[in-house]
Amino acid sequence: MKILVVDDSRVMRQIVTRTLRQAGFGHHDVVEAADGRQAYDAVQSEKPDLVISDWNMPEMTGIDVLRSLRNSGNEIRFGFVTSECTSEMQQAAESAGALFFIVKPFTAERFTEVLSPILE
Amino acid sequence: MSVETLERVEMVNGLREITSQVWASYLDPEGLNPLIDADGPGRPDMVASVSISGVWQGHVVVACSQGAARNAAAAFLAMDSAEVTADDIADVLGELANIVGGNVKSMLPAVCFVSLPTVIIPAADSTTRWPGAVQICELASTWLDESISISMWQSKSERDEVPST
Repeated sequence: MKILVVDDSRVMRQIVTRTLRQAGFGHHDVVEAADGRQAYDAVQSEKPDLVISDWNMPEMTGIDVLRSLRNSGNEIRFGFVTSECTSEMQQAAESAGALFFIVKPFTAERFTEVLSPILE
Repeated sequence: MSVETLERVEMVNGLREITSQVWASYLDPEGLNPLIDADGPGRPDMVASVSISGVWQGHVVVACSQGAARNAAAAFLAMDSAEVTADDIADVLGELANIVGGNVKSMLPAVCFVSLPTVIIPAADSTTRWPGAVQICELASTWLDESISISMWQSKSERDEVPST
């Protein structure tokens, strides 16, 4: 599978990628996007199987990316890794079609728990 | 419950809980080098902050020595501290502010928004100020013998409107 990791922090993209490896998903291909607009475009060009996205980013927020994808008819599997976690945000994510909501700081165990049903 | 009703010690405990999770996940996963409470903040070499707007208005600030920032970047990136670049350090410090700020948001009343982080490297003879806000709590610590402080600053106008209890 191909996974698109989206975060405006290069360091956090590296950490998400490293955590994917630690969680046992190192055999999947990882591509990156540095903001919401890049993510939206990368979904079209890279055709990933899963998007793991930050929420608060320049250009487009993660929820804007998800809503735009769904409005264009794209049903790609999509979830959030974000430092913000309110019930309103989780409800918005779920309503927009997100599969998961991982809160920073996270652990490899959390990635395994959430992503195993999706990636295996 | 508005943040004004929270005692300062509760907010510091909240910061302590958040930072312990960050340290356990990224900065000290093996539990060998925890944060240690300090009597007061050292003079920071680097400052990162996020602003919170909405029902509660203010800033969450991470201020630390150059050594602490370098150690944090090395730990985040799992590399030797001598190898990290200035960009690595700025990115990590901004992300630290983002993670702590995002989690602080969950301590606050609903309907708050967190900005993207700002990272500042103050000149040697200057200080960083938020003139529209007042510091309401601080977790001053040392980590690997370097100073690091995490604090919350609340908008003065908001505090004027809703007196603290």
